[in-house]
Amino acid sequence: MSTECPLSPEVFTAKTFRSNLKPIWCPGCGDYGVVTALYRALAAIKRPPHEIAFISGIGCSSRIPGYTTAYGFNTVHGRALPIAQGIKMANPELLVLVAGGDGDGFSIGGGHVPHAIRRNLDLTYIVMDNQIYGLTKGQLSPTSPRGKKTASTVYGSMEDPVNPLLYVLAYGAGFVAQGVPADMEGLANLLEEAIRYPGFSFVNIQSPCITYGEPDTQLKTQKTRMRKLEAEGHDSSNRLRAMELAQEYGRTLYTGVFYRNPNPPPTYESQIRERQQELNGKDMALEQLLGAKDAENGNLVAG
Amino acid sequence: MAGSGGDGIVSAGESLISAAAAEGYFAILTKSFGSQIRGGESSCRLRVSTRPVLNPGGTLSVAVVLNWEDFLKFGAELPVGANTVVVYETKTGVEPAVIPLGGVTPAVVFAAPMEAMALKAAGTMQAKNSVVLGLLAGWFGLARKSILKGISKKFARKGAAVLEGNERAFAAGLEYAEQHPLSADRQLSPPAPTAGRKLLTDGNDMCGAAALFAGCKFFGGYPITPASEIMQYLGREIWKYGGSLLQAEDEIAGVAAAVGASFAGVKAMTATSGPGLSLKTEVLGLASVAELPLVCVDVQRGGPSTGMPTKAEQADLFAAVFSAHGDTVRPVLAPISVADTFGITVEAFNIAEQYQTPVIVLSDQEIAQRKEIVTPIDTSRFKLIERLKPTEQELDQYTRFRFTESGISPLSHPGMKGGNYLAAGIEHNEQGAPTASGEMHARMNDKRLRKMDPLKQRHDLFVLEGDPDATIGLISWGSVAGVALEALHLARAEGLKARLLVPKLLYPVAEDVYREFFAPLRKCLVIEQSHQGQLYRIIRMWVPVPPEFQVLAKSGSNPISPEEVLEKIRLMARA
Repeated sequence: MSTECPLSPEVFTAKTFRSNLKPIWCPGCGDYGVVTALYRALAAIKRPPHEIAFISGIGCSSRIPGYTTAYGFNTVHGRALPIAQGIKMANPELLVLVAGGDGDGFSIGGGHVPHAIRRNLDLTYIVMDNQIYGLTKGQLSPTSPRGKKTASTVYGSMEDPVNPLLYVLAYGAGFVAQGVPADMEGLANLLEEAIRYPGFSFVNIQSPCITYGEPDTQLKTQKTRMRKLEAEGHDSSNRLRAMELAQEYGRTLYTGVFYRNPNPPPTYESQIRERQQELNGKDMALEQLLGAKDAENGNLVAG
Repeated sequence: MAGSGGDGIVSAGESLISAAAAEGYFAILTKSFGSQIRGGESSCRLRVSTRPVLNPGGTLSVAVVLNWEDFLKFGAELPVGANTVVVYETKTGVEPAVIPLGGVTPAVVFAAPMEAMALKAAGTMQAKNSVVLGLLAGWFGLARKSILKGISKKFARKGAAVLEGNERAFAAGLEYAEQHPLSADRQLSPPAPTAGRKLLTDGNDMCGAAALFAGCKFFGGYPITPASEIMQYLGREIWKYGGSLLQAEDEIAGVAAAVGASFAGVKAMTATSGPGLSLKTEVLGLASVAELPLVCVDVQRGGPSTGMPTKAEQADLFAAVFSAHGDTVRPVLAPISVADTFGITVEAFNIAEQYQTPVIVLSDQEIAQRKEIVTPIDTSRFKLIERLKPTEQELDQYTRFRFTESGISPLSHPGMKGGNYLAAGIEHNEQGAPTASGEMHARMNDKRLRKMDPLKQRHDLFVLEGDPDATIGLISWGSVAGVALEALHLARAEGLKARLLVPKLLYPVAEDVYREFFAPLRKCLVIEQSHQGQLYRIIRMWVPVPPEFQVLAKSGSNPISPEEVLEKIRLMARA
């Protein structure tokens, strides 16, 4: 009798990706729905948890990596994207996910977003956008609407909000979508599609804050407010149309894919690999320094 | 030598040091500029010797002045004394008797028509620096053949006309020198016959090379003077070794990407100068608490803020040691020369990997950008240390921040099955789960601090020179250590007894090493390039010091010369 086990492919379910940590989120927080949708998306993607690096910044939503079984890195405020890019560059085989809130991504870390987009590493950036700073107890966020009264703007905000969708579309992101936890199936599908997109992908999730958020942003209202782009007949390969629709941010709650580049350009990491292969072992200055070779190039001269 | 930006002064200096290297001499070439990108004043100083050169030297033996106004802008950086031979451009119109050197009477003052000679020989003033090379070769016996070889190599690609013009200019200089012998005999001794092969490089390139040797596979950084050349070197080289480099959108992203790469399992580094170190501080704290290896090179320049980007200073020590919130110990290392930058950079990677910590290397503009002739690096004395990885058994029930006797816990990385964990800036328990427990915070702090303790016993990271029974001590670090070392040699040649301690590990403070050094001392002088005397003050925070503990501290860009230190030693010996 053979003792050999039959080769069976690993089975991935949503449970595979759920960790034992209990979320700190308030009951009714939209982030519960986000993490559940993510478990489902990852089960569909079928990469084992140890091949996934999940990076976040600081904020309520940035606790999310700890609630998965992936390698997680809950970093500092606003720097999740550059840290994630270092990870992907060091090991392009990994599936790299980045998550954070609207403050993390579009206020303190806002300067990193355009650069992550233009470099185009294959990673997925998930923003849980709740238009408020929840963890610090209710201050104005970069996506809070003008006039919004918060702990830090008791007389109302005097500035216009950032439009995350238009922001990333303008810088040329190859995949831009918006989802809501109220539509769990739609959100799980969007996340899966974003992860499968070969390049920088962005999903803005309207994830309501139950404690400091406006009543008309809550899950129940989302169900009636949301308008599916697909049902509206939007052609997701039309970037200019996507930008027009994105202007509705804050007024119309569109869900689905705004834009998907039909011809994804080469990723940054594929170019790295090409450069490494092209230069491998050529004119190595270190060997010259160590005396293993005679130097004719660069800075070093042989005596 | 000093002149205007377009005079080719630095280029002449580079030709000279290349020639010196080819002949088997040792030398240091220091360049100094105003902060203009083009034009403005520029200077270089070359110190040549048959023995290893420890520092750029004090008072000049020879001063070449193409333009008095530019020369004088360098002030104390180019000191002329009673033994100096001053050669200057006739066209400046200054009479030898009234050169503007404020009361100094140099040994020889000589006006030469360098520009006119260049015009005549090459038809262009641009060949002025080749004339200078000819004059120097003729008067001082400087590597004539090698200089000429260098000229042909340098100008070959510019076409036959330019090449021949420069060759004629060089010959004109030589001939002029032969026809106008200087009164003083100042011929350079021939190099040692066993000189062997020499290399010419600078501290920034050396740092980049050492990083590759150490196995660095990722660099994240942002351009900043005077550190950019580290990124530029690695930008040419790191791909050949299977690594990659990110010129990030800012200093923070640069170090953040490096921390990410380290989390992903590779050796990673960043490099910057003072303003960048300030920006990177928060992410360095993240690396400390997540216990991730990282090398951060700070090529110090004059500060605070923008300060003096093209001048060396040693005033980032406080920032390197203290600029972290929370209870953190970050090892801080400093090389003392271009050659030493190799070993110290390798050491930084070793310490980072062994102790799972960010390590700061404090280089400075002087070491980073000066050209130095060095002997090829003997790498047999270096052992490379890799981070402690979990065993198969440990991966079965992996506990990332397990309390161990040493405080060091095995470190997994994404891709390693079973090693999955949550890294975080937030305080955590042994498993990596966030915690707000005071008890756990104290235990984790203790773990992270305790693991560094063995570093304090690293006597090998200190240079100790001089008389063991001396009662006079000197302490110096970084590029200034070479000045102190030469002063010590000069003092001992005069029969004065003294002892020098050079810490290359600046933090954590190796209390025992200092205590042993201080034991026989009555007096001790710390010599450093900062206004407050930062090392002087840090030592006093940790160690009881000798009765007379003094400091010779100067702001950056105010050179400290061996003669000046010698004078201090004499004073200490007398009193």
